[in-house]
Amino acid sequence: MVSKKTTIINQQGLHMRPASEFAKVVTKYDCNVILRINDRDFNGKSVMNIISSCAKYGTEVEIICDGPKEEEALKEAVALIESGFGE
Amino acid sequence: MISMKKGIGASEGIGIGYILKLEEPILNIPNSPVENAHDEFIRFQNIVNIFIEKTLAMANILKMQTGEKEAEILEGHVAIIQDPSIIDGVKEKIEEGLCAEQALSNVCQTFIDIFSATKDPLTMERITDIEDVKTRMLKLLMGIEEVSLAALPQNTILVAKDFTPSMTVGLSKKHVIGILTELGGYTSHSAILARSLGIPAVLNIKDLLQETKNGQEAILDGESGIVFLSPDAATKAQYQQEQQTFLENKKSLQTYKGKPTCTKDGVTVDLLCNIGSLKDAKDALDCDGEGIGLFRTEFLFMERNSLPTEEEQFEAYKEVAKIFGNKPITIRTLDIGGDKEIPYLNLEKEENPFLGYRAIRICLSQTDLFRTQLRSILRASAYGNIQILLPFITSLEELRAAKEIIEETKRELSEKNIPFKKDIPIGVMIETPAATLISHLFAKESDFFSIGTNDLIQYTIAVDRGNTQISNLYTPYHPAVLRAISHIITCAKKEGIPVCMCGEAAADPQLIPLLLSYGLDKFSVGPNSVLNTRKIIAKWDKKNADSLATQVSALTTTDEIKKLLTLH
Repeated sequence: MVSKKTTIINQQGLHMRPASEFAKVVTKYDCNVILRINDRDFNGKSVMNIISSCAKYGTEVEIICDGPKEEEALKEAVALIESGFGE
Repeated sequence: MISMKKGIGASEGIGIGYILKLEEPILNIPNSPVENAHDEFIRFQNIVNIFIEKTLAMANILKMQTGEKEAEILEGHVAIIQDPSIIDGVKEKIEEGLCAEQALSNVCQTFIDIFSATKDPLTMERITDIEDVKTRMLKLLMGIEEVSLAALPQNTILVAKDFTPSMTVGLSKKHVIGILTELGGYTSHSAILARSLGIPAVLNIKDLLQETKNGQEAILDGESGIVFLSPDAATKAQYQQEQQTFLENKKSLQTYKGKPTCTKDGVTVDLLCNIGSLKDAKDALDCDGEGIGLFRTEFLFMERNSLPTEEEQFEAYKEVAKIFGNKPITIRTLDIGGDKEIPYLNLEKEENPFLGYRAIRICLSQTDLFRTQLRSILRASAYGNIQILLPFITSLEELRAAKEIIEETKRELSEKNIPFKKDIPIGVMIETPAATLISHLFAKESDFFSIGTNDLIQYTIAVDRGNTQISNLYTPYHPAVLRAISHIITCAKKEGIPVCMCGEAAADPQLIPLLLSYGLDKFSVGPNSVLNTRKIIAKWDKKNADSLATQVSALTTTDEIKKLLTLH
């Protein structure tokens, strides 16, 4: 299991489009991907889960990957969040 | 009996026709026990595939109807139905013995409950999407046909609580002459769609669904937001007249197409367009703009993760240069900060962003970013009649520093034998009281002025234009604003440099005679205002405009000025 903390930098937070993009990217991996936000865990492969986290600009999020290719998955997931989803 | 309702006018024009309510039918979800859970889940998966195929096809149509952003909503619906929590949830429920319809409804309801419990407005907005996905999936599962908007009777006024993108695919002006909704506002999907199709629309009408019947006659005025239900003969006659006038006016504007822009006594001025994207540039040409008075370059920097490269910017500027041939194109260098933010620049949150690190202040501090933009603008200048406009300049030091960087960039290009327009004009955007008061100094060291009225009003009257509590204070008719404009133009005339105005005031029919009298050379307006502005300019001659300006200069309050201008 690997994990890293990062911060949401896009203005609108994890709304529909970034959430779909995130889920799409991490679904490529077989490992589990969890977003830990304010001590609650959300399934990173589920758009509905990500949206219900209400993560906003400036929210701190810990990404936890567990399973095959967890390192690569974590790297890509963190990079995506830190890119601000092109917003 | 006739009744009147009021909503938000969201798309101009008058519609007279018959109401057709688009109400979602109450779906009677079957409650039959499922014999084979495995087969039932496969049936669900097959329907999901059909749903995805249909949704993507709709997204494509919508892309052409209203643009990328709206279509993204539908693409989001594909992500929802593919969501593992939805799919796994449905599978579990089916295995418990529920049919696919029941299973999907239950799972969707769970998420609707979760989303509403968050009390977060943005998250709660997504409930509409889950509802939409649920309804359309249920209809597919139950074999219920969608009402097709492509085949409706003539003179239909569509009524709905609100229109989701999926409901409006295929809607056409041929049959639909009006749109009414109970929810939504000027920027909602229904409004954007109505405007892009040119269909009159009034939104946000209270109790609309309750008080209307299918087939009921109605009149809507998309400008004032007034709606009449079951109008009497007199009201109908009056609005038929107004509709006639509206259409004639629209048609009469067409006679100004291709004509030069000049006053009654033959003084020619330039009528240019404000644009903020490549699509706008095409619109500007279609609407008969004589060039670009303000090319906002921010769009190149938005909705992405990193700065655009020199090549990307160069291609965009060159593209616009090509569209306009040798007509003038004024490119404004990056004007971010204030209310426009670009997350990847990681600019600090400020207490007073409008008085903070923005526009030229950023460019003079992060010079790499500025130089890259200048190189691409200069390179594009080899392909068209381009000039550079520097935003938010408040001192000579800033102007000189910016000009120095432009000179250095030119030398760099010359050394590499890269072609560019050697004598490219450099202009100053006058949009603060400081710049206004020393505009005689700027006039000696720049090639042209551009008056940005939106900011000039905001900074002169010290009024935030976004603050609704004080929005009545935000007005171009304030004597200080008019004096500022007149002063700027006078200073430019003294040095023989041209002045353009690129704020909303340039298209204001009541201000146009004053601007003509002050001696404004170039009017830069939104593409849709070109013909109307040309028509207004043609109504005035120098003598009448001057006499009006003299009368205005003797007035001391905004109200008096507004009142006098309304009379003309």
